[in-house]
Amino acid sequence: MKTFSYTITDPSGIHARPAGILVKKAGEFKSAITIKKQEKSGDAKRIFAVMSLGCKQGDEIIFEIDGNDEDIALNVLQSFCKENI
Amino acid sequence: MRITDLLKESSISLNKSVKNKMDAIDTLIDLVDTTGVLLNKSEYKIAILAREKQGTTGIGENIAIPHAKTSSVSKPALASMVIKDGVDFDSLDGLPAKLFFMIAVPESGNNLHLDVLSRLSVLLMDEVFKEKLINSESKKDFLKLIDNMETEKFDDKKEDTKIETSYKILAVTACPTGIAHTFMAAESLENAAKKQGTTIKVETNGSGGIKNGLTKKEIQQADCIIIAADKKVEMNRFNGKKLIQTKVANGIHKADELINRALNENVPIYSDSTPYEDTQDEKESAIRKIYKHLMNGVSHMLPFVIGGGILIAMAFLFDDYSIDPSNFGKNTYFASLLKTIGDTAFGFMLPILAGYIAMSIGDRPALAVGFVGGMLANSGGSGFLGALLAGFIAGYIVLALKKLFDLLPKTLEGIKPVLLYPLFGILLIGCIITFIINPPVAYINDSLTNLLNSMGSTSKILLGIVLGGMMAFDMGGPLNKAAYVFGTASIASGQFDIMAAVMVGGMVPPLSIALCSTFFKNRFTKRERQSGLTNYIMGLSFITEGAIPFAAADPLRVIPSCIIGSATAGALSMAFNSTLRAPHGGIFVFPVVGNTLGYIVALITGSIVGMIILAILKKPIQSKNNI
Repeated sequence: MKTFSYTITDPSGIHARPAGILVKKAGEFKSAITIKKQEKSGDAKRIFAVMSLGCKQGDEIIFEIDGNDEDIALNVLQSFCKENI
Repeated sequence: MRITDLLKESSISLNKSVKNKMDAIDTLIDLVDTTGVLLNKSEYKIAILAREKQGTTGIGENIAIPHAKTSSVSKPALASMVIKDGVDFDSLDGLPAKLFFMIAVPESGNNLHLDVLSRLSVLLMDEVFKEKLINSESKKDFLKLIDNMETEKFDDKKEDTKIETSYKILAVTACPTGIAHTFMAAESLENAAKKQGTTIKVETNGSGGIKNGLTKKEIQQADCIIIAADKKVEMNRFNGKKLIQTKVANGIHKADELINRALNENVPIYSDSTPYEDTQDEKESAIRKIYKHLMNGVSHMLPFVIGGGILIAMAFLFDDYSIDPSNFGKNTYFASLLKTIGDTAFGFMLPILAGYIAMSIGDRPALAVGFVGGMLANSGGSGFLGALLAGFIAGYIVLALKKLFDLLPKTLEGIKPVLLYPLFGILLIGCIITFIINPPVAYINDSLTNLLNSMGSTSKILLGIVLGGMMAFDMGGPLNKAAYVFGTASIASGQFDIMAAVMVGGMVPPLSIALCSTFFKNRFTKRERQSGLTNYIMGLSFITEGAIPFAAADPLRVIPSCIIGSATAGALSMAFNSTLRAPHGGIFVFPVVGNTLGYIVALITGSIVGMIILAILKKPIQSKNNI
């Protein structure tokens, strides 16, 4: 299992648009991907799970990736975060 | 903020059919419009479409959430729609959209729409719930489903996604007279918080005591505290919390700004021991500090003066002058009873004034010192001025003693408030008042009294004009208070015509506005006309503050007309030699007014003058906008 954390810089947080792109990207991988914010966690492949976390600017989130393609997934998702949120 | 707080039956549609995505959006916008929060429907539509352009809100799983955060929205609102057969919404997963939620939030919404989206998402994660919603038989069922699910997901204590039920912001409002401004500030802050989508609890320190007190737990859980007060408020309990301190007026007029600061900015933390410095707020000038101390004394003194004064006035009303002119007020048993009780209450006026001024400066230990100082000023003949000085001197004596006794060993800490402060404080103030203050101030007091007594009628009329004008100039503000305190102080030294002019001057503004809204209806909106009616009661009860909302909404027209009306009434009151021994009561104490008939003429004339000028200045509102 691989993890990485990211602090959100976008003033709008993870709003609907980046959430949709994130879910799409996460869906391309076989690994199980979970996003954690404090005590809450959600399946990164389901749009509502991601949006239900209500991540705002300044929040620190942790990605947990577990599976055969976890390394590629980590890189892709990390770049996604830097570019979009 | 609950979904069911924002979503009403009137903004839900379950069985519409729409042709395409645009049609769906239009239908939803119409639904949002039924809630009345859209200030500009076309602007809102532009914002919605702009959001869609950034990327479709058809987020998949048959759900679409178009939303916009724009200044064309006055309050947050939700609309919802079900299209059983679905419509193509360009969704991310290609599926048709069947369940729609459209969100409208105001510009200052502080990312409220993110919280709403987050909440909706938690609910919609549940597939079974989603299907139930889509297949709802009625709008009532639709709402009930959401309501139950919200309770289940959010109010359940075991749930680790804890949506806070505690208050984010706490506030305390307090104004010296405690009648109007305290509550106006509270309401203003509550509305501003609602508009920005946050929770607030406001404790009011009004004349009736503390209402809605803040609990220890609430203080612990709150993010930020706002104090909007012109008199002392208990501060120890806020040690360690982010705190904004400002005056009551800002609580009323700058509520949006205050809430925004509380939510977003780096607010300094309050600490008991270190001097509090809030660099954003105007640093308390010395004058403001003095005003605060003075008002603390006045607000505590007023109940004694009002209760006692009215009883005394009633004693004169019920007594028989002819039995013994020199003992007028106590000739009959009933009158004597009233006068004795009234005199006792009234007698507390000066000690209480001095005591609470002192306490505002030097805290608890200064109360006794100020009290004694005020009492000595009273018996020494230096009257109101003497008591005023006694209060301030007592307060600073105690502060000085505190500094001095700081040098003592810590073991003596306990006997300071019990023995040292009272003993030395009272001794010092006693000597100062007796030898330094009383002689000159008693002289000043006597001269002032003689001056007022010997004033010619022209000068009195002039005085009446000035007093009346002051009462209307800032309605509840410093000038109004100064005139009022002058009036009550004059009762203590035997001049009763001043109080008469002051009271009639304070009754005119609300009455002028009430009269104008009745006889010149087209100058006011419907809502204004309704509050115009309550102003009759306010005016007749001598609650000048009733005119404040109107003055605030249209100052350049309302204030001058009220000033002229009040000045007229004051002048006439003096001209008719009306006198009033009671410091409050409005129309209810008219029976004890000297030359009641003339007084009534003064009141009516002044109110009518005010009404006419206001009607001339105000333009008729166009009937189109007259809701």
